[in-house]
Amino acid sequence: MTLYHFGNCLALVYVPYYLTYKYSGLSEYGAFWKCIQAGGIYIFTQLVKMLALATFFPTADNVGEEGFDVFGEFLKSSIDLADLAGILLVLNGIPGKGHAKVLTAGIGWAGAEVLLTRFLLLWVGARGAEFDWKYIQKSLESNINLVQHITTATLVWLWSRHDLRRGLVPVVIGMLVLTVYRPLILDFLTSFLLAGPWSTLIIKAVTTFFMGATTLHIYAGLAHSIGIF
Amino acid sequence: MWLEECDSFAELCRGYLPYYLLIVLPIFIIISPVNPVAASHEFPVYRMHQYDLHGVPHGCRSAPISLEARSLTGWSTSRHCVVAKALDVTSSVFKSIKSKAGALVIVLPEKMNELTAEEREHIINLEAYMMYESETMIPVYFALWHPDLQTILDDIADGFITDEKAGSAAEAMYNSISASGYQVVVATGQALPKTDVKVATLYGKLTGTGAEEKLPTIAIVTHYDSAGVAPELSFGADSNASGIAMLLEIARLFSALYSTGRSRPQYNLVFIATGAGKLNYQGSKKWLEDQLDGLEGSIIQDAAYVICLDTVSASDNLFMHVSKPPKENSSGSLFHKELMIVSKSLNTNNVTIVHKKINLAEETLAWEHERYSIRRLPAATLSTLENHENPIRTTILDIANHEQVDTLYKHTQVVSEALARHIYNLSSSQIFAGPLDVSKESLSLWFNYFASQPRAASLLTDKYNLLVGTLKEAMARYLGDIKVTFHIPDKRDPEFVFYDVAKATLNVYSVKPAVFDLFLTIGIVLYLGILYMIVHNFSHVYSLATKLSAKNKTS
Repeated sequence: MTLYHFGNCLALVYVPYYLTYKYSGLSEYGAFWKCIQAGGIYIFTQLVKMLALATFFPTADNVGEEGFDVFGEFLKSSIDLADLAGILLVLNGIPGKGHAKVLTAGIGWAGAEVLLTRFLLLWVGARGAEFDWKYIQKSLESNINLVQHITTATLVWLWSRHDLRRGLVPVVIGMLVLTVYRPLILDFLTSFLLAGPWSTLIIKAVTTFFMGATTLHIYAGLAHSIGIF
Repeated sequence: MWLEECDSFAELCRGYLPYYLLIVLPIFIIISPVNPVAASHEFPVYRMHQYDLHGVPHGCRSAPISLEARSLTGWSTSRHCVVAKALDVTSSVFKSIKSKAGALVIVLPEKMNELTAEEREHIINLEAYMMYESETMIPVYFALWHPDLQTILDDIADGFITDEKAGSAAEAMYNSISASGYQVVVATGQALPKTDVKVATLYGKLTGTGAEEKLPTIAIVTHYDSAGVAPELSFGADSNASGIAMLLEIARLFSALYSTGRSRPQYNLVFIATGAGKLNYQGSKKWLEDQLDGLEGSIIQDAAYVICLDTVSASDNLFMHVSKPPKENSSGSLFHKELMIVSKSLNTNNVTIVHKKINLAEETLAWEHERYSIRRLPAATLSTLENHENPIRTTILDIANHEQVDTLYKHTQVVSEALARHIYNLSSSQIFAGPLDVSKESLSLWFNYFASQPRAASLLTDKYNLLVGTLKEAMARYLGDIKVTFHIPDKRDPEFVFYDVAKATLNVYSVKPAVFDLFLTIGIVLYLGILYMIVHNFSHVYSLATKLSAKNKTS
């Protein structure tokens, strides 16, 4: 709409990131540079993914065909497994201690994503004369993504631990797979339920909340047992 | 505790971030394009006509719009652009909009050729009012009906009943915050006078047998332009695509007769397609000046008769308009007699003579033949209209329908046959019959071609206009020696001035009031505040989670 509206959207997108960074204790560790490194790995991973997509799915250009090609979409989503590898790389590559390690990976990853995907969109879209709820929705969605990425990072960390309880391994792996295919499932759900953008957002928020809560529960248990406080 | 939190908020602002933003944001604002978004709705719109005739300004004098859209009932100030359906706008409503609103966008009916008689009359009346009243200072545009436009119309009709009619203050406030408005933008510059105006008049002739100069000449004249309240929407089917189609058909028929030596009559035929006929027959005027006042002798000098064709497909009656009643045995009365005989033999309505004196006090002449009568040439206009003030001659509703070709065919038969009998001085046998009959295909081809093009005089002024070129080619097919004269208005004291911006793009942005943004900010601040509390107190949540898992383990 106007610059003012753009400011609104920007605040909605970036202030939560800043708050999380500031008050999760990362700022005290001086983890800013580490977050940037994580962002760098994010960019690298995305490039690899794009290359893979362009090589193996050249027909992705002609969007607009009717029907929902579930198998093709499934394969495309499988490329997102690279994200997990990327996060693993971040976790292994960047030194860190305790909670900070996971948080650095999560926030760096999510921060890079939000910078690269949202800023231009908002700049181009939210500043024009046209008003659209879309930009507020995108901003809220990026807040949800923050939680989602921290969850994913935690899950990857949990998976990489050998002292995880045997019984929990399938749960962690299941949730990781769910994380990868979540956009696909959500897409499918929205087109199936004909849900509007707001209800899609709510579905996303609720699923993310539950996954986050479960992960937190498992993580807290492990952290307690191995003595990270 | 609250103080502490305030402190940490202050610390947020004390960091480096604001300083970076201070530098980065202005740079972005400077380097980014002015309006980076495409509007969600774009419609082609056609501006109301604008021209000066004899120094008197006519029509709409402004082009750009950037205003808030309001309905007919909702607008109040000059900051509003009224968007309304043509059938809801009456002349009195238009008058008040013209003087007080900021702009007007008129949405034409969905099906232009299926209007009831009352609807037609309503639009024609409105159009006449808009055209002939004093100039309009606000931008006025016409838009064709579109489903998206209908949605916008419905939206603005529903909203904005607010302030007075809302029940309580809270309700009014809620309405004014949540109301979604539309911003109407037509991003054109102000309309400027067209500089390179050339009004083309085309003529060609068929030469009879014998010494060319001594033969009598009959001229057939018709103007090819049309008029309507919006230049780009004036297709002018009846007036005057029918006239030009008839002219071409008569040219075709007679060119066949003139092509063989035996049947070539002792008459010269001149065919003239004049431009800017709707602007007081400027094309004819200029052409006559060139021909009569020029140094060399002219083909029209000793014309036996000038026949103008104007609106020859609107009804079954045919009228012969003259400025003074033709004398007995003059070519005028002889031609009329032939017309009567032919129409009787073809079982069509009689051709009646309508006599109207030239009124020089009027701003414009009534019929094209008056231009010739003023120059003392015997002339008449053939038309299906009885009165020159019939609004069908200047309306955007004058579009092609399939009945017109039949009427045109009938009248072309009568006119061409009567002309042929007059030229050959035969009165018994039918001349245009068998293979040399009036061709309906050819008539409907040309009629539909011309009726499919907006032909307002202001649109046909460039030198290499496609339509004029096509007309020239069509005439050249049948007639020898096609010449084109251009009427270039005088630089200092032009008789007419045309303006550009006949067509533009209407962008409609959906917008929210500024108060809405303010409330949005409050909402966002609240949301962020809650988020802050959550992040700040996350350690409690974490310890809760730890406790829970610890309990799980022990149990």
